[in-house]
Amino acid sequence: MVVYSFFIFDRHCECIYIRQWLNTASSAAQPLSRPVTASSAATVATSVVEKPTAGSRLSMAEQAKLVFGVIFSLRNMVKKLCGPEDSFLCYRTGHYKLHYYETLSSLRFVMLTDIRTESLKSSLHQIYVNLYVEYVVKNPLSPVEHAGGEGVNNELFELGIDSFVRTID
Amino acid sequence: MNVSGWFEAVASCSSATTNSRSQALSLHPAASHRENLTSSSFKPPTPRPGHLPNMVVYAVLILNKAGGLIYQRDFNPGLQKLSSNDYLILAGTFHGVHAITSQISPTNETSSSGLEVLESENFVMRCFQTLTGTKFLIFAEPRQQNLDVVVRRVYELYADYVMKNPFYQIEMPIRSEGFDRHLNSYIKPHQ
Amino acid sequence: MNRDPSPFRTASTASTATSPTPKYANLTASTNLRYSLTRKSIYDRHLNRTKTSELSKSAFAFLFGEMVQYAQKKVYGVQDLEKKLNLHGYAVGQRFLELLLWRDGRTAKRETRILGILQFISHQLYRAIFQKQADTLEKVRENEDEYMISDNDPVVNTYISVPKEMSQLNCGAFIAGIIEAVLDGHCFPAKVTAHTAPNELWPGRTVFLIKFEPEVLEREALRVGS
Repeated sequence: MVVYSFFIFDRHCECIYIRQWLNTASSAAQPLSRPVTASSAATVATSVVEKPTAGSRLSMAEQAKLVFGVIFSLRNMVKKLCGPEDSFLCYRTGHYKLHYYETLSSLRFVMLTDIRTESLKSSLHQIYVNLYVEYVVKNPLSPVEHAGGEGVNNELFELGIDSFVRTID
Repeated sequence: MNVSGWFEAVASCSSATTNSRSQALSLHPAASHRENLTSSSFKPPTPRPGHLPNMVVYAVLILNKAGGLIYQRDFNPGLQKLSSNDYLILAGTFHGVHAITSQISPTNETSSSGLEVLESENFVMRCFQTLTGTKFLIFAEPRQQNLDVVVRRVYELYADYVMKNPFYQIEMPIRSEGFDRHLNSYIKPHQ
Repeated sequence: MNRDPSPFRTASTASTATSPTPKYANLTASTNLRYSLTRKSIYDRHLNRTKTSELSKSAFAFLFGEMVQYAQKKVYGVQDLEKKLNLHGYAVGQRFLELLLWRDGRTAKRETRILGILQFISHQLYRAIFQKQADTLEKVRENEDEYMISDNDPVVNTYISVPKEMSQLNCGAFIAGIIEAVLDGHCFPAKVTAHTAPNELWPGRTVFLIKFEPEVLEREALRVGS
């Protein structure tokens, strides 16, 4: 399984966390660029030199906007077709698969993987419960709102995401 | 904060996920045998052409290349009834979303197909775009694997009973009794 | 006309035909319709060749569809349109009858009785065009001069769905024209019309109603008398 990128959107529809992994042959996922994060000391050692990803024509911030547009529309479409209690889980194109999980507090977790990956609904739920709640919500120094990703970018959360993605590889 | 403590927490939650998904994904040699068994038992029988695989199809929608809805029909209960205006909006929205999904490609391929399969708790939708830009949307009960067969057959019926009908105006809503009849007898063969 | 390649199959054969070296494709593509093994095109074949003279039903459907659309351009109303299709069919029938009788060679004979000509139409003519016989041949009980030939699924109507506002229309008028020409060619002047008469099994069933001119019946009566 290959994880390409990971996004969190808050209830104001703002992207508060972006993470992209370089698609390497080794199973270890390596952080490539984190536009909204200050790189933490622990991951600096493994991070590769930032280079523009060939082929991906959009910057990560632009991509986040598009991702949000898509999930927002699809979510509304599904709710319209199947009633408000239904939720949209994932979609697949010829090249990638997008997994979606929405909490009751309207936080949205989105993960882009390769197309052979099975449903990641429970994994996204666990990221929410075991990482987001633990290291972001319970962090006394973290603000309530995360404008510009403030508060989500702490070391523990970063490390947690990294090791988590490594285990679901 | 105790570093080993959080690491354990992460390790425990991640091991829980791998366990729950070991059947499908595990690369562990012990599990590979079981994986083979499940995959072979889940393999659908290759259906004869013109024969519907055993499944419940909720609805079929056809969009023209401009994103306009040209055909909408419910076959089995499962989706909410919408007004015709809502269906038109839905078709337009989906047309846009489909275009965007081909833009957000994380891989390095230059051209990417748009959305192909959409899954939710209550249904799965297969979208097939022809080379001419017409889109076929098939809604079916969740966890259906071989919707490709259905979509192909619907495309075939469309090519036969819509495109060959001299009274059909291209890109306009489909009102073809022959198409209706054949689609119905394909999707609901026992009624 | 009884070949019915699906759109996918048509696409696949088309892709094999367009090989990168078209010069040599002639030699290899034996399934190609245009070039037979003898490297003669379909147009070079002898008129007598009936065995391999089948053509794609799809191709015919598109051609006929265009014909209907063309006929629709300059008409006022359904009856006018049917008349136009009938005329098209008449032209085809006149020529086809000649071909059919020529192919029969010495065994060909001119039908002189009403029943004989009707059987000729529902058997020989139908088989020559559609590779099947007509499904029924009946006499209308009320009228002496009317006969019916029915076809459960006329080839021309396979892909046609008539819109509701033109429900009277049956594009089988084209076949009716062919039948009319064949009757005329045998000196049995008649009016032939196509009517939709669906039943449960066959939603596209079509009845061709043949109404002979009075002189035909007169002549028939004289023959019976002699």
